[in-house]
Amino acid sequence: MSTHSGCTCQTAAPISPEIMTKVDAIINRHKDQAGALMPVLQEVQEAVGYLPPAVQERIATALNIQGSEVFGVMSFYSMYTWKPKGKYVIRLCESPPCHVANAENMLHAVQQELGIGEGETTADGLFTLELTACLGVCEVAPAMQINEVVIGNLTAAKIKQTLADYRAGKVPDYKQLPYSTKDFRKYQQSPADLILLDNVGVIDPTKLEDYLAKGGYATLKKVITTMTPEAVVEEVKTSGLRGRGGAGFPTGLKWSFTRPLPTPKYVICNADEGEPGTIKDRYLMEGDPHKVLEGMAIAGFAVGASKGFIYVRGEYYLSKLRLNQAIEQARAKGYLGEKLSGTDFSFDIEVRSGFGCYICGEETALIESIEGKRGYPRMKPPFPGVAGLWHQPTIVNNVESLASVPAILEKGGTWYKALGTPDTTGTKIYQIIGHVKTPQIVEVPAGLTLRELIDTYGGGLRPGSKFKMCQTGGASAGLVTAAALDTPIDYGSMSKVGGALGSGTMLVMDESVCAVDFIRSVAQFFRHESCGQCTPCREGTPRLLETMTRICQGRGKMEDLDFMERLAGVLTDASFCPLGQTAAQPMMSALKNFRREFEEHIQEKKCRAGVCKLG
Amino acid sequence: MPKLIIDQRSIEVPAGTKVIAAAEKLGIMIPRFCYHPGLGSFGACRMCAVKFLEGPVKGIEMSCMEDARDGMVVSTTDPEAMEFRQYVIEWLMMHHPLDCPVCDEGGHCLLQDETVSGGHGRRRYLGHKRTYHDQYLGVFVQHEMNRCIHCWRCRNFYQGFAGYRDYGAMQIGNRMYFGRYEDGPLESPFAGNIIDLCPTGVLTDKPCRFVGRRWDFERAPSLCLHCSLGCNTTGSARYRQMWRQEGRFNEMVNGYFICDRGRYGFAYESHPERPRRARVAGLEVAWAEAIQTAAEKLSQIAATAGPAAVACLGSARSSLETQATLQRFCRALGWSEPRYFSVPSQERQVKAAIARLEAPLAVSLREIETADFVLVVGADPVNEAPMLALALRQAWLKGGAVAVLDPRPVFLPFEFEHLPLAPGDLEAALEALTAGAGGTDLLAGGSPWPLLPKIAALGRRLTQTQRPVIVCGTGIVRESTPGLAADLVLRLREAGLNAGLFYLLPGANAFGAGLLSPAGEGLTPLMEDLETGAVKALMVVENDPFWDYPDRGRLVRALDKLELLVALDYLPSPTVQRADIVFPTLTLFERNHSSFVNQEGRLQLAPPVHLGGMPMAQISPEKHPPRTFLSHIPGGEPRTPGEILAELAAAMPAPVTLPGDDLWDWLSRKNPVFANIVSLFESPPGARLIPEAVPAGTFSPAAAPAAAERPPDYLELLLVDLIFGTEELASYSKHIQPAEEPPRLRMHPADAAKLRLSSGDRVALRLLGGTLEVDLQVAENMAPGVLVLPRHRQLNWRLAPDYRVMVAYGDIVKVEA
Ligand SMILES: Cc1cc2nc3c(=O)[nH]c(=O)nc-3n(C[C@H](O)[C@H](O)[C@H](O)COP(=O)(O)O)c2cc1C
Ligand code: SF4
Ligand code: SF4
Ligand code: SF4
Ligand code: FES
Ligand code: FES
Repeated sequence: MSTHSGCTCQTAAPISPEIMTKVDAIINRHKDQAGALMPVLQEVQEAVGYLPPAVQERIATALNIQGSEVFGVMSFYSMYTWKPKGKYVIRLCESPPCHVANAENMLHAVQQELGIGEGETTADGLFTLELTACLGVCEVAPAMQINEVVIGNLTAAKIKQTLADYRAGKVPDYKQLPYSTKDFRKYQQSPADLILLDNVGVIDPTKLEDYLAKGGYATLKKVITTMTPEAVVEEVKTSGLRGRGGAGFPTGLKWSFTRPLPTPKYVICNADEGEPGTIKDRYLMEGDPHKVLEGMAIAGFAVGASKGFIYVRGEYYLSKLRLNQAIEQARAKGYLGEKLSGTDFSFDIEVRSGFGCYICGEETALIESIEGKRGYPRMKPPFPGVAGLWHQPTIVNNVESLASVPAILEKGGTWYKALGTPDTTGTKIYQIIGHVKTPQIVEVPAGLTLRELIDTYGGGLRPGSKFKMCQTGGASAGLVTAAALDTPIDYGSMSKVGGALGSGTMLVMDESVCAVDFIRSVAQFFRHESCGQCTPCREGTPRLLETMTRICQGRGKMEDLDFMERLAGVLTDASFCPLGQTAAQPMMSALKNFRREFEEHIQEKKCRAGVCKLG
Repeated sequence: MPKLIIDQRSIEVPAGTKVIAAAEKLGIMIPRFCYHPGLGSFGACRMCAVKFLEGPVKGIEMSCMEDARDGMVVSTTDPEAMEFRQYVIEWLMMHHPLDCPVCDEGGHCLLQDETVSGGHGRRRYLGHKRTYHDQYLGVFVQHEMNRCIHCWRCRNFYQGFAGYRDYGAMQIGNRMYFGRYEDGPLESPFAGNIIDLCPTGVLTDKPCRFVGRRWDFERAPSLCLHCSLGCNTTGSARYRQMWRQEGRFNEMVNGYFICDRGRYGFAYESHPERPRRARVAGLEVAWAEAIQTAAEKLSQIAATAGPAAVACLGSARSSLETQATLQRFCRALGWSEPRYFSVPSQERQVKAAIARLEAPLAVSLREIETADFVLVVGADPVNEAPMLALALRQAWLKGGAVAVLDPRPVFLPFEFEHLPLAPGDLEAALEALTAGAGGTDLLAGGSPWPLLPKIAALGRRLTQTQRPVIVCGTGIVRESTPGLAADLVLRLREAGLNAGLFYLLPGANAFGAGLLSPAGEGLTPLMEDLETGAVKALMVVENDPFWDYPDRGRLVRALDKLELLVALDYLPSPTVQRADIVFPTLTLFERNHSSFVNQEGRLQLAPPVHLGGMPMAQISPEKHPPRTFLSHIPGGEPRTPGEILAELAAAMPAPVTLPGDDLWDWLSRKNPVFANIVSLFESPPGARLIPEAVPAGTFSPAAAPAAAERPPDYLELLLVDLIFGTEELASYSKHIQPAEEPPRLRMHPADAAKLRLSSGDRVALRLLGGTLEVDLQVAENMAPGVLVLPRHRQLNWRLAPDYRVMVAYGDIVKVEA
């Protein structure tokens, strides 16, 4: 057990004047930007490799803030480091979707290959090994990221080969890769028309002309030259579009609250995509970045904002690159910037990056993060729509929600509403991952059943295995059993069977998975991601993990089950934000559906799946 | 006013009151950690859960997050709520060390109390406990991070309420760390409040560490005497000595908090050289003998040289009882009226201010928090009246604006507008603002004053507010400035604004001293009377001219002419050291009740904290009470000045009995404001000693606003206060001394450039009384044309004829190393 410090345990190595010159140049570039701390820290870390105390102090002085604020922010986000690391940082995913894909064995494989433990650096200074939460590439689980590059579908042999390549200097450049994982067009497609992913894999995402040739930005032009903002809001209301970030709040309604408020106002595109199992937004950003920008600009016009931010999770290097390229192109051609299409409407967009923190996907924490602070959820109300970024009215929408907007304005809300189910209109990008033959994403009108999703798009379960359960909607939602296979996947139906649509991800698990061990892995995720602001979540999530670990090790007691149920109740009722409020949901649903397995672990020291090493 | 029912009892509270606060009004203390009435709701600890049985909210909710609303029925004892809270406390205790016996918080620990009341007594968590490294946070605050329950109070106060940022939260999740970037003293002079706020033993009072459990201390409400605001405190004494001061709630004055000067300034009380015995000619003598000698010598001089040859000097730090008794004593003996200030300009400034403070104008410190615009004129809040800075910050947090007109490099912990005007220009600025508020177009005359457009803009903003407050200092301003500030307030009120006035005064009871000082021009300055030999005997009561008289040489020469110097004091001051006869007096903490009038005329009462006497530590090195039995308190000889004066009067060859009637009655016959005292014991915030008169303004015709003339090649020397090191009482405190910053002379870069000086230079200032050497700091954010020098304990600054002198360029020279 280590002893935690503020900053006193930091290693103080001398920093060369050349490095300081680099640091100063970065600071000067960002100095006058609001919320400059995060961009400065990120660029400096990229340039220097780490953020030693001398650099932190330099940044603090230059930005006129305190050292404790700089370190306070750095130490909140898992991707910052204040100790030197290897040339290649291997971040191996341990979140549930990778966990059920054997991530633990992959860890052993890497450790064996490098001869180091978690958090250590090889003697030659080449590799540092870290464990991380979901990287957002679960379709290729188990996965790791070496610096910017994703390496998925890991096997011991692949690990060996990859490390050998890196040692030999055969290092891929992420900028040259078409996608970070897979080509969407290679997936099983649905017969329905695509409205979100229509361009993905068809156009060259680095070329604005390609997007224009597909009719891109025409809707934006139509909207701002022929419609009133109120009419745009009305159209989105008519469409019935519900937010795709997980909560399903009607987008038009959200906008209508912000519309009448005084300026300045902001549009934020939530591209943090941290929910384990969620990979969809990445395909949109990598494959069709302009569609996201166009959706944001229309949203800006509708609510009266002239500035937008895209908050992209730190690990999505290619998404950031593509978005930044697209913004440059759009600015150059007048699709972003001052007085668009000769109207009075001006709109510009800035990309801001997260840095390894799940809670920053929560909209108010995200706002704090853009402001350059520790990403703590804020008290609601006031909602961001009323007082958001810099306490100004701000709408926060998911990438997929915003990418749906151009089509809605092009073809009309009524047309959109006719797609999908009355509960969940339009098309939805589903993600089918886990123990299916072909994990993938697919865009279909909302409301297909879980069985269809698994069989038609996932290619059925992997050979020789039998369906055991599915975690719906992400790490914080419930588990469903085979009984739910014929439920349509929309908000209302899913919640009736104890699941959730969430971000539209479905993690399918076969009988090789131990329900108890799976819940331990979920508990691990939440313990790692709890921001620590409120007591129940800060202390309750480790407590849950500690209890689950004991049960998995054969040291559980029957009282533990009772205890955890009550603990879950308090966690749910008492936590400050949805992270804590939902952290125990999977466990509750496992105790309901798979209680017998828990009892077997405790009373008989038996794990049916043979996963847990008991006693 | 919403009406709700909590635990079967109904209560009506103002709209916006949280349920937790409503319960407190009923005497129900809902467990809480992050919530504090002074800091508001935060919603992090989840300890305050209650069950809402009926009304707009249902089920378990946090009582600190819900506004009280009509129809709510709340149970704090519902089994579900209690179980809920039991879980929260269990979680908080999971990583908490179980070593209360060696924890300094034990006995007044909220965590202890709520663990017991929450019913958590059995440990179920079997894992490792989290541990942290502690930090050195300076001389005031001790850090023991393992005890942290992450309630956020310290950070919410330090960064949110007070606006300092060197202490805060770091790391994430359950590794969260509250501290500084690295070891080092906390930068905020309000840091001590986090000791009071921390509900556990993480942040404890360093000077008082391991001195006793709460029940070991004698505790009583007290007052801070370290500036004129009169913040309320609670004093703790043990073994015949003060150990600790905490903030005490006063809804009109300081709210919940105090500054570190007020928290740690008390140790003058146990200064090892504090006079404890009566002395004659440097030798300790029996008390009666000293009384006898003093009475004889004083009456002898009065008889031979006339009663006017005996003078008394009271002070601005004595209680009103002492100040008034001194006056009564002088009158009874037929001596001349006592003076209360050794520096005549100070007396005139104080009188100028209190003459204009009438009830409809005066605002209290807390009322400043609700102002929408505060104009601070000639004051440096953090250094002169620290808690004012926090009140201003609260106003700013609520959306109000703050502008400061002051030549010094003023720092405030929030954004404000600073116009660095020389003291002479402050008056022109006030006159211009008054004229502007009366409708004059300031810019019409085409005045060449470059700052006038800014002042005019300020004036326009001022007139657009609703509840502005003008704060006016009395330290560096001209004697007529307080009056001009009052004129501006009256003009704003004529214009329909609810404008308020707030003065700062030099001393905890300067207001009392001003009320008792003779009106008008007053007496001949004491120094002149000494020099001419008109005064042959001087009795100094709790005053030390060596501390604040600006010309040490002149003072010594004048005192040398005296035939007799009698000193009554509790400080081992230079005056006491050179006095022929010394009577030790009591501090406000000991044995007697005393009252002090703060700068807004609020009379407040300080009961004794302990009985006085020689601190045990100074008698018994083991700090253990000696096992002897005495019928008196060792070192308990000091008395109140009132008692000493009565004894002296009675011991005169022609004995005089001081009238036996009530002092307050006597005072109210002199000045009707004292009639308000009756209510003192009935109203905890204290009684206001200011006239109810409806004030009327007499405005001088608006002259063309212009900067004051300044002789070229001269700089005006300003002698100023610092948070630590310049205030008399706190400077005798061994807790404050290590926190003092080294004193520095400050000047504007333009002046430094002309004199070819730069920051860090050692500078010699040639003044009339001699040469002073001090390090220079060049500061951008101050007025050109002035030199700012702290009246610092460690500086020999008393070399000028007055608080305001001009120094020629040629007399400011660099000292070559
Ligand atoms: C812990 C937590 C994590 C979240 N992560 C994301 C995320 O990664 N992406 C996202 O779009 N929404 C996320 N959300 C939801 C957002 O708070 C917010 O509801 C959403 O961005 C609103 O956009 P929408 O209405 O378009 O869905 C998260 C919420 C919580 C509580
Ligand atoms: S902080 Fe309180 S509960 Fe903790 S050890 Fe100290 S006295 Fe005990
Ligand atoms: S140090 Fe004290 S006040 Fe600060 S968070 Fe910890 S327990 Fe709370
Ligand atoms: S502000 Fe003044 S009265 Fe208040 S605690 Fe500080 S020194 Fe004492
Ligand atoms: S990438 Fe591993 S769980 Fe998502
Ligand atoms: S006191 Fe209410 S949540 Fe902390």
